[in-house]
Amino acid sequence: MLLHLLKIELKKMTNYRTFWVVGGLYFLTLGVGAASGMEFLKLLARTIEGFGQEININRIPLYHFPDVWLNLIWVGGFLKIVLAIMIVISVTNEFTYRTARQNIIDGLSRQQFLVTKILANVMYSAISVVMLFVIGLITGLIYSPVVSLELIVTDLEFFFAYFLEVFFFLSYALMLGILVQRSGLTIILVLLTQTIELIITENLRDHVPDWLITIFPMKSIWYLIDIPFPRYAFMEIRDYLTFTTIAIVLVWTFLFNYFAYLKLKRSDI
Amino acid sequence: MENVLSIRALTKTFGKLRAVNSLNLEVKAGQVFGMLGPNGSGKTTTLGMLMGVVNPTEGAFSWFGEPPSHDVRKKIGAVLEHPIFYPYLSGQKNLELNAMVKQCPTENIARVLDIVELTERRNDRYKTYSLGMKQRLAIASALLNDPTVLILDEPTNGLDPMGIADIRRLIKKIAESGKTIILASHLLDEVQKVCTHFAVLKRGNLVHVGPVDDVGNGAEVVEVKASIANLNEILMTFPGTSTINHENGSCHVTLRTGFHSVDVNRFLFENGIVASHLQTQKRSLEKMFIEILSESH
Repeated sequence: MLLHLLKIELKKMTNYRTFWVVGGLYFLTLGVGAASGMEFLKLLARTIEGFGQEININRIPLYHFPDVWLNLIWVGGFLKIVLAIMIVISVTNEFTYRTARQNIIDGLSRQQFLVTKILANVMYSAISVVMLFVIGLITGLIYSPVVSLELIVTDLEFFFAYFLEVFFFLSYALMLGILVQRSGLTIILVLLTQTIELIITENLRDHVPDWLITIFPMKSIWYLIDIPFPRYAFMEIRDYLTFTTIAIVLVWTFLFNYFAYLKLKRSDI
Repeated sequence: MENVLSIRALTKTFGKLRAVNSLNLEVKAGQVFGMLGPNGSGKTTTLGMLMGVVNPTEGAFSWFGEPPSHDVRKKIGAVLEHPIFYPYLSGQKNLELNAMVKQCPTENIARVLDIVELTERRNDRYKTYSLGMKQRLAIASALLNDPTVLILDEPTNGLDPMGIADIRRLIKKIAESGKTIILASHLLDEVQKVCTHFAVLKRGNLVHVGPVDDVGNGAEVVEVKASIANLNEILMTFPGTSTINHENGSCHVTLRTGFHSVDVNRFLFENGIVASHLQTQKRSLEKMFIEILSESH
């Protein structure tokens, strides 16, 4: 039954040109972006040279196993916004074309309609994980001076976190799309979310306990996967996942999908 | 006869507005049921509730004696207000998608496309279709799962006379195949021609329900013309005359029960008058509809 519902969503999307354009751009940017790390390091080196400093970029193991995993995952996370916009388009289309209404008239329940969208989100998140893993594997094999299975399997648990991160954000986009129902406004809201939340948290920071900041939805993603680059400045980074940060992200993900369900259940479509 | 649909005290309010007010209605198998009412009388809201897209405020309804569910909707083919499809998909692809939702075999697609005569254009995108083609595709989609009940809401809206004739022919063809049809329409002439039963809604209230055959019942009116000056007075002496109205130079005689046009003709002839025009007026649904609406304040 779940597979049947996923097929319905895929039938809608695979014949939609925007889907292929946005999907293609997403994976192209992910691939080319991930492969351009060395070029970025060269740029960094040139800039620093201008200040009379010198760094040996070859000593920064950006693409070495296991560093490559966390580096790629952290940077790749920024591109989830592209997928999110595609989700917004796919769900708000259903309201502007009124096809959500016809789907229900034709015999989908409101829950099933939502499930088709959630399953698609799971699929896009899983494909993102696979893409990033393949890109990481290729670049890692090219650049790593030492290749051993032990090094390759280190830090792989971060792919679970990456899956959560993408699925979390797509769930958020889906919920906003269902609540707002207009594509333009929803896309603007999705784009502004990080900024708005940052303004709120920074204004609150001095007045509330720290743990309260960590449970803000977009912040929960930042805490889930720490920025990995400070380790090249000889700083300690957290290279493991913590139960609390995973739990916070899971709770938000559940709530987003639940709010979407409530809205669909209660409204006249 | 088996109840296809029964509605009990169904109510929908939007804020202060009672769009549908405690509606009770039954539709039996094989009926072609017309839902009439001016714009905003609650027809589409009612159909929306029956098809699960509008949440009822109060009341209940059942399809085939079962409580409403999404599975029961798969046995019903419905087009509400206007055709809804994915504009970027072809007619064929749209129907394939509908077949997946309704969980019916895709082999039906060729057959329904044939019925609505869209086979040639099936691979063109939906957004390139004319309004008439869109309406026909909607009917094809409603027929896709070979439903026992068909709901059509203003299926001829916005069509040219050719398109209207096409759709009317199609509805008649479907009705002849024994399906139960619920047809909401403004076109009273159409309802009279196609429907077996009809209901009239006004501001959310059910003001009339009954068979279409009853429309012709009631007092007979005969229109009489003759080239004499005192036709009026002579007709007044006819024992079967109830009232007489003058319209466009002819006398409209409303007869008492038991009297018919043939009696008027005989009476005139016996009085040495030859009528130049004598016609029984059939009471139209249109006339009755306006009467019903003006009676129910």
